[in-house]
Amino acid sequence: MTSDKTSRTSHTAAQATVRVNANVPAGPTAAIVLHGMWRRGEGKFSIIVLGLWLIVAFVSLFWTPQPLLATDGYHVWATPSAAHWLGTDGTGADVLSWLMAGSRTNLLIVVLTVLFAAAFGLLLVAAMVARNGTLAGASVVVVDALISIPTVLLALILAVPLGASVTVIVVACGFGYGLNLARVARPAALLAARSSYVEAALASGASGWWTFVRHIVPNTLPVLLVQLSLSAGTAVLAESGLTYLGIGVPSGVPSWGHSLATSVKFINVYPLTVLWPGLIVTVVVVALNVFGDVLRDAVDPMVNAELRDGAAGADCDGGTLSDPLRAARPSHTVGQRTAVSVRGTADTDVAGRRSA
Amino acid sequence: MSEPNGAHGNAGATTDNATAATTDASLENRAKTPNHGPTWWLWTVIAVIVVAAIAIGVNLVKPKTDAQGNPSTVETGGKTADTVTIGLKLAPTNLDIRNTSGSALDQILIGNVYEGLVARDENNQVTPAIAKSWDESKDGLTYTFHLNENMTFSNGDALTAEDVSWSINQLIKNQYHDADSLSMVKSVAADDNANTVTITLSTANSNLLWTLTGRPGLVFDKDATYDAKTEAIGSGPYTVSKFVANDSITLKANPKYWGTHKAKTQTVIVKYLADDNAAVNALKSGDVQVLAPITENLASPFTSDSEHYTVKAGDDTDKYVMAFNSKGKNTSDKRVRQAIRYAIDHDELIASRGGADKALGGPIPSLDPGYEDLTGLYPHDEAKAKALMQEAGYSTDKPLTLTLTYANIYGTELGDQLRSQLARIGIDLKVNVVEFSTWLQDVYTNKDYDISLVDHNESHDFYQWADPTYYYNYDNAEVQKLYAQAIAATSDDQRDELLAKAAKLVSEDAPADWLFNYRVTTAWANGVSGFPVNLNQTLLPLYDVTYTK
Amino acid sequence: MRFVVRRLLLFAAALFGVSVVVFAALRVLPGDVASVMAGLNSPASRVEALREQFGLNRPLPVQYIDWAGGLLRGDFGTSILTGRSVTSLIAARASITFPLIVLGLLIAIAIGVPLGVAATLARSSAARTAFHVAGLIGGAIPALWGGLLLILLFSRGTGLIGLFPSQGFPLDGWAAPGQAIWSLILPALTVGIIVGASLMRYTRSALGDIAGSGRIDMAMACGMTRAQAVIGVGLRLAMPQLVSVIGLTFAEMITGVMVIENLFALPGIGSGLVTDVGNRDLIAVQSELFMLAAFFLLVGLIVDLLHRALDPRLATAADASEVTA
Repeated sequence: MTSDKTSRTSHTAAQATVRVNANVPAGPTAAIVLHGMWRRGEGKFSIIVLGLWLIVAFVSLFWTPQPLLATDGYHVWATPSAAHWLGTDGTGADVLSWLMAGSRTNLLIVVLTVLFAAAFGLLLVAAMVARNGTLAGASVVVVDALISIPTVLLALILAVPLGASVTVIVVACGFGYGLNLARVARPAALLAARSSYVEAALASGASGWWTFVRHIVPNTLPVLLVQLSLSAGTAVLAESGLTYLGIGVPSGVPSWGHSLATSVKFINVYPLTVLWPGLIVTVVVVALNVFGDVLRDAVDPMVNAELRDGAAGADCDGGTLSDPLRAARPSHTVGQRTAVSVRGTADTDVAGRRSA
Repeated sequence: MSEPNGAHGNAGATTDNATAATTDASLENRAKTPNHGPTWWLWTVIAVIVVAAIAIGVNLVKPKTDAQGNPSTVETGGKTADTVTIGLKLAPTNLDIRNTSGSALDQILIGNVYEGLVARDENNQVTPAIAKSWDESKDGLTYTFHLNENMTFSNGDALTAEDVSWSINQLIKNQYHDADSLSMVKSVAADDNANTVTITLSTANSNLLWTLTGRPGLVFDKDATYDAKTEAIGSGPYTVSKFVANDSITLKANPKYWGTHKAKTQTVIVKYLADDNAAVNALKSGDVQVLAPITENLASPFTSDSEHYTVKAGDDTDKYVMAFNSKGKNTSDKRVRQAIRYAIDHDELIASRGGADKALGGPIPSLDPGYEDLTGLYPHDEAKAKALMQEAGYSTDKPLTLTLTYANIYGTELGDQLRSQLARIGIDLKVNVVEFSTWLQDVYTNKDYDISLVDHNESHDFYQWADPTYYYNYDNAEVQKLYAQAIAATSDDQRDELLAKAAKLVSEDAPADWLFNYRVTTAWANGVSGFPVNLNQTLLPLYDVTYTK
Repeated sequence: MRFVVRRLLLFAAALFGVSVVVFAALRVLPGDVASVMAGLNSPASRVEALREQFGLNRPLPVQYIDWAGGLLRGDFGTSILTGRSVTSLIAARASITFPLIVLGLLIAIAIGVPLGVAATLARSSAARTAFHVAGLIGGAIPALWGGLLLILLFSRGTGLIGLFPSQGFPLDGWAAPGQAIWSLILPALTVGIIVGASLMRYTRSALGDIAGSGRIDMAMACGMTRAQAVIGVGLRLAMPQLVSVIGLTFAEMITGVMVIENLFALPGIGSGLVTDVGNRDLIAVQSELFMLAAFFLLVGLIVDLLHRALDPRLATAADASEVTA
């Protein structure tokens, strides 16, 4: 019986998880992971870009080169100058200031979207791997049916009662990406849910939710990381598209999409203004897309040797760091390549981003 | 360190052992089951679905083919082109001018396809059309219209006094669009022998003639049946030969036209270009010969190329009305409303839009009766504005939050600019840009707003300020009295004087700020002549337009 | 067999669900077509009369049954505002959107697949990095911006090199096929570059998986060169996956190209939908949304079934997963 072997390793894994979380401080691990990311060119790039983003977003709360509200009707569409490094827009406001301030709106959107997608996706995963067969079956059907509805369509419908708002972007994207997440993470979660250590946990009186959070979610972590960082990138793209269509960030709120959309109208006469916001979006999206990949590898002891070494050290404290992740790795890869899983990835990558 | 396996985004990618496992499994299965067994019927199912889908798809596309693809007649080197293509902005969704609101229909159909009992010229004055002359009784209650002879509709039917009275009576009976502007009409009677139509009123109305130049005065063929949403049968110099909703209208000269405004160009194609850049490119590349309107800020390539293009701004009755809800929680405070009016720098707004528009200090634009320059009432004065806000209890440290609701068709710039200007006097303006239909519901119908912004392009529309149920919520008995007197006036001078007095009262009360009088800028390729510049967003007679290469 | 039957049942159930959801969601919208038609300066009585005329006052279940009954008979209704049948509206718009998507995908395939193969074949790490970076950037460009850059580069009037008309669709439509295609090139190129980048990544990852499974090595052992093996064996094995990716992309593009249609002022399905929503032409909107959703569901169905037909391994694998599910 092969299942004997799996259940035994999984068992230790499960126990290890508990111990790790109890004893090992997060600090050193985070440093190791960060270092693991930094060593790769891509990682460096994404850390720098995302770090800059955070800094600029923070700084813009207190300072921008010009006040956001400083419009000047007599100097619209000015070319770059000492006072306005990137020129002015159609209201005479400073383009650079708006882009800086836009970074915090985009940050907010990305964070909220990712949280929404993660929460919604995991909720669906929980339903899909539920012990209750009817619930599980029904949720699979629902996900299958809903996943084909494009984000833009959803956003269009949402925008009508809500008007243009950050909520529209967050809910439409979070909903769509959550569905994708659920679909992609389901095989790994299913495998974990059917393992005997989960059964053991349940048998020993742990609640269903506790078991899900404790034992099943960690097993989907690699998928989760990549999927969520992709979602983050797609959310940035979606923001620019939806705002251009008039159903994203409302007027008067700075965002990269806003800067892009307002300059579009005047490309014939003032083509330069359109360059900057697009450039920023592209660079940030590349960084976000790369980030998940690099992070997945950095937290994977099979790839990140340092983490392995660190884990060996941590072992002395009585916890094996690597075990849960080792257990996680095979489980996400075992997911059968069914039509379903292919669809899942296709939806995220090609379809999801199309909403932009 | 191995390269990350699989491209990012391919979260479900398998690793070696997984693929191997499935391969093993499949090999095993292949050994057990005959390979071709289960797939043939699967293919059949797919084939059936695909064929069905294609069949449905083809059926959907089919009706499209009946739209005739008559290739555009390319002008053959001659001097005067037989086709002129015009780029306009706001497209009609259908041709049903009796039921569907919107100036797009007035613009393209009135004077071109349909004709009214009377018409108006480019100075907004009433001129003869189907009626060649008219008499007005002393008391202003009876109008007798003498019609032209031998008039015909484009389908060959004769246009008689009967058609005229039928059209107006139908409008009133069925409450077609604008019917309420004829609420004082008691009867409309035709006399076929004398070739006259007599309109009797219950109360005198100095606006009647002007009203009849618009939709209420249009004459339809009472014997014709056609789908009014996609076709139009009128007596004007042009007929609609092809209509693509939201996209284009092709007008052909009406061979049965009876009057003096005979079309000079055989075919006029009207292309609706909602996107400003696309519009500019269309003019640049010669796809259209005229562009009305062109965004002033985008006109510079044409203004600087006067050898090939002419750019001209025309007068219009478009008023960008920023209304303050007079019964709103905060805007009912006159000091707040006045402060806003002082705070707005109209010249700056106009400059940022390219400079063609005109400052407007009150509800009546220069082309309407009762106009008077009222811009002096509330000049830009930030100090005064701040003082008023202070009095009302607000300052930049303790700002008053107000919401501006307006339709997305006007762009986001105006909202941003107003927000910036009002922030200086202690108003935190939230800008809510919505769909026009949402604006109609929330602001116009439910009157649920603080500040609204809309382009009121109607002419002779002062009644809005005399109607306390209108969305402005403006209720001033004196204004209502003056307006009633103006309407009942039997001489134009008297009317104009009363209207001017009322308009000044309104402006002083500051129930709104009139941001500017939008002047439409039109650009055309040199060689085009006869294209109206004034009022051309509501009234666009095309009979005189020619294009000489 | 069970899989197919269940899949078909799901399809039918989803169609029903979509019709209900779409119908219900649209009733939440503020404003209606009657007030849009009446416009400014019309008394409330006139709006009411229009509502009466179009049957907008009837109870919602009656309106739903009326509409859904029509759907069952293949009648998608008549747009209140334009007076044209919804099918003819969609057909006119589809005649722009579909050629745009097809052209865009062809460009994407022409760019993505060869680059994906080249990326797999590349030996030097510099070349690999270059392909990798190209794929990343291509996939990160906002469609709006990509389109704008192309306009600034290649459009007549605005661009550096005036080759293509920048915006709009010719007045005569497909009656002037040359002009029509010409006006679709820039938008299609925008689609093509962005989709091509992700297609390239898919191709590379699929080929990588196949190479990992040893089948490329096996083919090379039989005497093929590496290039021959990758293209001849690898690409063929990767085909089902690529086909399903392309199929799904095609479906997604219908609304996905909305921004591009808007930017290039093409009156396609996406921009038409926005217009109709704005006008509150609900019968048109709900039928359009339903048709779109039905289309997406149908494509999903076909892809799922195709995938099983193309890849016999799945027949057993998926059935197995069904048992556990």
